[in-house]
Amino acid sequence: MYGYEIIQELATLLSGEEIIVSSNGNISRQVYNYCKQPQIYLRGSMGLPISVGLGVALARPEKQILTILGDGNLLMGLGSLSTISYVRPSNLKILIIDNGVYATTGHQATTSGTLNYTALLDGFGLPNIVPIQRNDAVESIKEKIQLWLDAPELNILPALVDAKPPTLSNIPLHPEEIAMLQKHSKT
Amino acid sequence: MINPSEFLTFLRAKGFSFATGVPCSYFSRMIDKFEMHQESITYIPATREDEAVGIASGVTFGGARAFVIMQNSGYATIGDALTSLAQLYRLPMLLIISWRGLEPDRDFPEHSLMGKVTEATLSSYQVPYWELEIEDWQRTIEVALTKMEETSRPVALLVKQGVL
Ligand SMILES: Cc1ncc(C[n+]2csc(CCOP(=O)(O)OP(=O)(O)O)c2C)c(N)n1
Repeated sequence: MYGYEIIQELATLLSGEEIIVSSNGNISRQVYNYCKQPQIYLRGSMGLPISVGLGVALARPEKQILTILGDGNLLMGLGSLSTISYVRPSNLKILIIDNGVYATTGHQATTSGTLNYTALLDGFGLPNIVPIQRNDAVESIKEKIQLWLDAPELNILPALVDAKPPTLSNIPLHPEEIAMLQKHSKT
Repeated sequence: MINPSEFLTFLRAKGFSFATGVPCSYFSRMIDKFEMHQESITYIPATREDEAVGIASGVTFGGARAFVIMQNSGYATIGDALTSLAQLYRLPMLLIISWRGLEPDRDFPEHSLMGKVTEATLSSYQVPYWELEIEDWQRTIEVALTKMEETSRPVALLVKQGVL
């Protein structure tokens, strides 16, 4: 499966009450196009989506916070796995879309190919779901996403995917509007 | 020295319910006091200072207020977190930065250059800053927070040795 298809599948399983934090580049664009709006679309701050998700989860304990990030973003902020494991907010869920490349900047290889996600996440003390594999059937992918969404505590779902991002236009919202929309949604 | 407990109580009264950052020995008395204030201020230890700015940004997206503690060596690592996140999305937060590399740190060459360029880097990143001094510290913080709310952006306090 391609990364954008995982986000499309996820969109069909959401209640609409969740807050999504998405990593810069293609993933934010895909979340903008395929999921309910508005969400927290990061445009920069590569490496920080998990940290931002943690902050939102602490400030909005009544909400489910879903952080969706690429492998390049994960590797740039690996230390944040230790932080979330320590803080353990039960309303934070992380979805790693690992396409093995920096797709946004032209598909240069990342170093994620050597990672064993289960061992990595277990090592960080983080509850996790068996990674989605490239050739998993759609039904099994949906099941894993549902399991992840239903998890009663902090949970990480890694998804190994193929890279073929669709061409999507830039997010039309100015970042200031993105922040304002979050403020207004808190009523 | 400023009483660290009074300092935290003051910040709490100004609306800060979260704090994050990476320690500096200049802040050890204050960090010790976080335990005492944990009911009212949640402290999240970060692994890097840019991560701390990310956490504070998330807290602010969620409608609460966070302050961030770091050395100026840590300030040297947060350029992108400021420019492409906290400043870009207009997320107000208070950065409390220790000013290492001045006279008392003459035996710590690792801080020397950063000590010299701290003010210039704050200015070049367009972060308004004030030196926190023992005298009138509440007033200084009030002025800084007024600017923070007015601009809806991060502002900084520089803290020399022996102040906190
Ligand atoms: C600090 C920083 N370095 C580099 C970039 C350039 N950049 C933008 S998106 C991106 C790739 C992100 O990779 P990944 O998280 O794997 O997502 P993908 O593009 O594969 O969807 C890079 C390197 C940046 N925005 N910020």
